[in-house]
Amino acid sequence: MTTEHWVEAASLADVRRRRRLAVTVAGREIALFLVGDDVYALDDVCVHKERRLTKGTLLYGRVICPGHQWKIDPATGEIEDREECQPAYAVRVEDGVVYVDPRPRVLTAGGTSNEQES
Amino acid sequence: MPEPASQPPSQPAFQPVPESVAVAGAGQTAAVAARTLRRRGFQGPITLFGEETEAPYQRPPLSKEYLTGEQERDELCLLTPAWCAKNGVELRLGTRVTAIRAADRAVELADGSTVTAGAVLVATGGRPRRLPGVEGDRVRYLRTLADADRLRAELRPDARVIVIGAGFIGSEIASTARGLGAEVTVVEQAGQPLGAVLGELMGDTLAALHRGAGVDLRTGEKVESYRETGSAAVVTTSGGATIEGDLVVVGAGMVPNTEPAAGLELAPDGGIAVDEFCRTSQEGVYAAGDVTSFHHPVFGRRIRAEHFDNANAQGMAAAKAIAGKPAAHAASPWFWSDQFDRNLQYTGYAGGADRLVVRGRIEDFDFTAFYLAGGVLRAAFGMDRGGDVAAARELVAARAAPDPDVLRDEDADLTDLLT
Repeated sequence: MTTEHWVEAASLADVRRRRRLAVTVAGREIALFLVGDDVYALDDVCVHKERRLTKGTLLYGRVICPGHQWKIDPATGEIEDREECQPAYAVRVEDGVVYVDPRPRVLTAGGTSNEQES
Repeated sequence: MPEPASQPPSQPAFQPVPESVAVAGAGQTAAVAARTLRRRGFQGPITLFGEETEAPYQRPPLSKEYLTGEQERDELCLLTPAWCAKNGVELRLGTRVTAIRAADRAVELADGSTVTAGAVLVATGGRPRRLPGVEGDRVRYLRTLADADRLRAELRPDARVIVIGAGFIGSEIASTARGLGAEVTVVEQAGQPLGAVLGELMGDTLAALHRGAGVDLRTGEKVESYRETGSAAVVTTSGGATIEGDLVVVGAGMVPNTEPAAGLELAPDGGIAVDEFCRTSQEGVYAAGDVTSFHHPVFGRRIRAEHFDNANAQGMAAAKAIAGKPAAHAASPWFWSDQFDRNLQYTGYAGGADRLVVRGRIEDFDFTAFYLAGGVLRAAFGMDRGGDVAAARELVAARAAPDPDVLRDEDADLTDLLT
């Protein structure tokens, strides 16, 4: 297991207000989304055309990019019917505070894991 | 004039899964159908017959990122040779289908040969509508990669470009040409760009977008005559103007390529009549994409959708039906256009709407317009509001009658209206 790098990103109440929130964590622009009771974190800027996902919407548990309606799984960053993948981050919520590990996870055969820092 | 209502076509039974599939066409629809067939477990041979010599590629960038030079050819590819080899999909390019013999499930090719298959998918797309009298060495149309390559080389900063038609393609070309520094005149016969589709207010808003970007937009003017001198293209308009340019680009809509499918029932709007499973009037023959007209259950009428999303959705619907896993295509139509640094999106069908509700600020080009008929949301058009349009698309499909005050309220989450 890799070392965790939790950075305080927002209060849970702020994420709840609009179910999406743009934050900057360790210099990265990150979008937080609330699906049910869970918070997810993706790069805010879409890999496709640089639109902000926080300007999009959440539908049926998926993030819809406002540029071209790509449907993104907030947990993995996988994009429906596309090869591309939106960088996703690990999230932990404790005592009403949302923490993000600002190292993007990469998809592996067995699921997601933290990218090795080089 | 009221829109003619249409009846859903009668529903023949689904055919058993065929041994092989022949696809007339090798564009977006055909590529998506091939991918979906394999994903859904279809194992028989799949052959795509394409008139162009290019392997399947994406068309939307041809008037946008590809035309500006931001995107390159290999980024447009939809089916790589490696994928085709691995998945047993044969591309027969430079091979035009001249006729589809529906009763035999056979396609006749330009070289005189005939190929028979278990099922035929007609995905022949369309071609640009030609303007009578506008012909010459300086006249361009945009549909294919070859068209885009030619235009890309010609849209130079010092070029004088005349665009005929302020529809989506015409507007995108005008936007791209302006972005590259060309001098652009747009001639549109209607009073506003897309006024017939979106209404006067939105049409005027689009006109302001054009003019704000430095386009010389001439609305309410028809092309009266066209000629070429040794050094220029010359357009005269019904308003008496004479416009000189280096190049004329015509964006006057498209004509579906139904000619090879003479044995299939056509809808009054000219498309091949299909149901929500992309079945035609002939068993074992399917049609999808720009070439079709389909009965939409939400709008109770036939729709001809000439855009990327419909090509995808119908390509998938046809493939699922062929693979024995039918799933109806009944989503609200949706498309986007990137022009003048704005992302425009539209969903639904605004015909018959009796009320327009606006969320956001029209004057800032940051808004969504909702079209309601009898209180039911039928369509939405947004500028830089893809999130709103995504929610509206679901509301339209659900035939929702949302509270106009909620639609207007920027603090309200539109997805709450879905629950």
